[in-house]
Amino acid sequence: MSKEKTVERRYLPEISQKEMAELKNTVKTASQKIIADNIERMKKADPHRPEAMKYFDDIANLFGRRQQEIQAEKERGKKVIGYMCLFAPTELILAADAIPVRVNSGWYDTSKVGDRVVPVEVCPVIRSTIGAKMIELSPFLEQSDALISVLTCDGMTKLGEILSDQTTVWGMNVPRVKDSNQSLRFWSDEIKHMKAQIESLTGNKITRKSLKEAIANSHRATKAFRRLQDLRKANPVILGRDAMLVNQAYSWDDQKRWTEKTEALCAELEVRVQQKDWVCSPDTPRIMLTGTPMFWPDNWKLPALVEEGSPSGVIVADEQCSGERILNDPVGVDEWSMDDMLNAISERYLMASTCPCFTSKDGNEDRINWLLNKVKESNVQGVIYYVIRGCMLYAMEYSRVKKALDKINIPVYYLDTEYTREDVGQLKTRVEAFLELLNARVDF
Amino acid sequence: MITVGMDLGTQRVKAVVLKDGTVVGRAQAFAGFDPAKVAEQAVNDALSAANLSLKDVNHFTATGSAMDIAPHANSTVSMMGADAKAGVFLIPQARTIIDVGAEEARAVKCDDRGLMTEFVVNERCAAGAGAFIEAMARALEVKLEDMGTLALQAERASPINASCVIFGESDVVSLIHRQESKPEIARAVFDAMADRVSAMVHRLGINPVVVLSGGVAKDPGFIASLNRKLDLTVTVPEYPDYVGALGAALIAATRAKGASK
Repeated sequence: MSKEKTVERRYLPEISQKEMAELKNTVKTASQKIIADNIERMKKADPHRPEAMKYFDDIANLFGRRQQEIQAEKERGKKVIGYMCLFAPTELILAADAIPVRVNSGWYDTSKVGDRVVPVEVCPVIRSTIGAKMIELSPFLEQSDALISVLTCDGMTKLGEILSDQTTVWGMNVPRVKDSNQSLRFWSDEIKHMKAQIESLTGNKITRKSLKEAIANSHRATKAFRRLQDLRKANPVILGRDAMLVNQAYSWDDQKRWTEKTEALCAELEVRVQQKDWVCSPDTPRIMLTGTPMFWPDNWKLPALVEEGSPSGVIVADEQCSGERILNDPVGVDEWSMDDMLNAISERYLMASTCPCFTSKDGNEDRINWLLNKVKESNVQGVIYYVIRGCMLYAMEYSRVKKALDKINIPVYYLDTEYTREDVGQLKTRVEAFLELLNARVDF
Repeated sequence: MITVGMDLGTQRVKAVVLKDGTVVGRAQAFAGFDPAKVAEQAVNDALSAANLSLKDVNHFTATGSAMDIAPHANSTVSMMGADAKAGVFLIPQARTIIDVGAEEARAVKCDDRGLMTEFVVNERCAAGAGAFIEAMARALEVKLEDMGTLALQAERASPINASCVIFGESDVVSLIHRQESKPEIARAVFDAMADRVSAMVHRLGINPVVVLSGGVAKDPGFIASLNRKLDLTVTVPEYPDYVGALGAALIAATRAKGASK
């Protein structure tokens, strides 16, 4: 257990044990309250909330059951591999009998701690994750034996470097132009190299059999995931926030159990469809979110504003790496040879991604197509383009997305914010004005 | 049919009384620490100006940042929705309404019915809003209402950076140290604000006719700077600071009609 790195810290300042404990305690207490509040508000917004959500409410407590389960597994010798981008090939982690867990921070308060290391202009997701590491707040970040840091945006690129002061960090170099054979070859090599690193950390060989099983389990999860998103396409039977929580919980939950519980939720919702038991009036404006990822628990303010506003809307879809992008795409395997499976994984993680870190001859066309398809499939009436200040790539792609949505006559609102609770009043004004616009209220 | 629109802004509360499509009373007051109480007063003042009382009113609609605490309100409407409605009522050809208040600037595009189709709000900094002029007037030791006429006397512009009120103020101080004249500094202040507002409006796209409303629309210095930056002539209605309240009163009238049907 005493694998303390002795290297000199290049970035992170020393914090006294006393200060760290105080900060951790304050933030953790606040966070537990926020988790409880968020869930309370979701319950209030849907008094007839699906029974199956109880399980996800439990898993939503980042300092609860799941932390303890992972701890117990670690004590039995399992390794935990944290990741900070969806490009991390979780099938390889699972095939090596290790636990994948996403560690991006959704805590507002730790971004202030991160300010001691990087300036406030830096994306708050990054500052907050640095801060969480500094005060050892995040159970999953602390439990990680290694972190996969994917070099996507500038923030992510440096985040891994900064965290490597205190943790083993494996960089994955993602090519920025994906529609070329060189890129795919390059990325395939990164995937193979990652396989070797995972095997070396865990001491477990990834076999054809174990990888096949891991891919099959992911397929099951994807199927359940898509079933849930399909249920959001017609008249609403679930709050957007509930679906978003389920989607995101996949990032830290036990995969098989998550799949079962999501299937149970879907079964319950399918009955509601039959009974025409809508969660809100079917003429409630249908909203899609796109832009910066929105991490549980603190960064739940926008979905809450949308669904509790006056007028209110319902979130029926998103194009976020904290949401529908998590499991949208299955690994497409033709032959179950090791090579073929690894190639399929490479393709799935590179080609299917709509991350704005990509460009090419047609720019990030895949993202535009995703958005346009979703608008159609989910009968979206308005798009909220959500950007956290400092998130350059999403901010820069806005004009293109707006043009594309203008063409199909779908209103889009650019909403910028920070990792702070203090701007809720301002955001409320904007969100409600946008919903009012969508309502095009007959009484005007 | 009598309706009242209340605009509970960040600095002032405005009330408009509308009788069968005509404004018959208006009043305003500093919002202060108790905007709800001030709104009550403004409503009473506006009603007495029209020889009416609370019980004559068919419908109250509130708008503005404190609309949720407005007294008597039967309904609320967003500031953007109210601006669009009143803008087209006052200037039927209006398709873009720019509203510059004490602490916020926003722009709304609308259709011929006064229904908003798109809007944009400045980015959480008062540098593009009235509070900026106030702070700069303080630095220049001139009265707020004299800033505009002062700026119009300037012979040239000296650029400052208005990304933030505080930094803007330190820029103004360095202009003072460079012994620039007061008119030029005053113009620099309006140019910087107009830069911010026009960048925001350009992101939205401009559909003429453009109406300028809000308290700052009373300032000739700002109007001149904004016209230069946008390369057009904005139309300023007679009572630009009452546009939000008027929009709310108009929407109240449609809602009251809908309810009585």
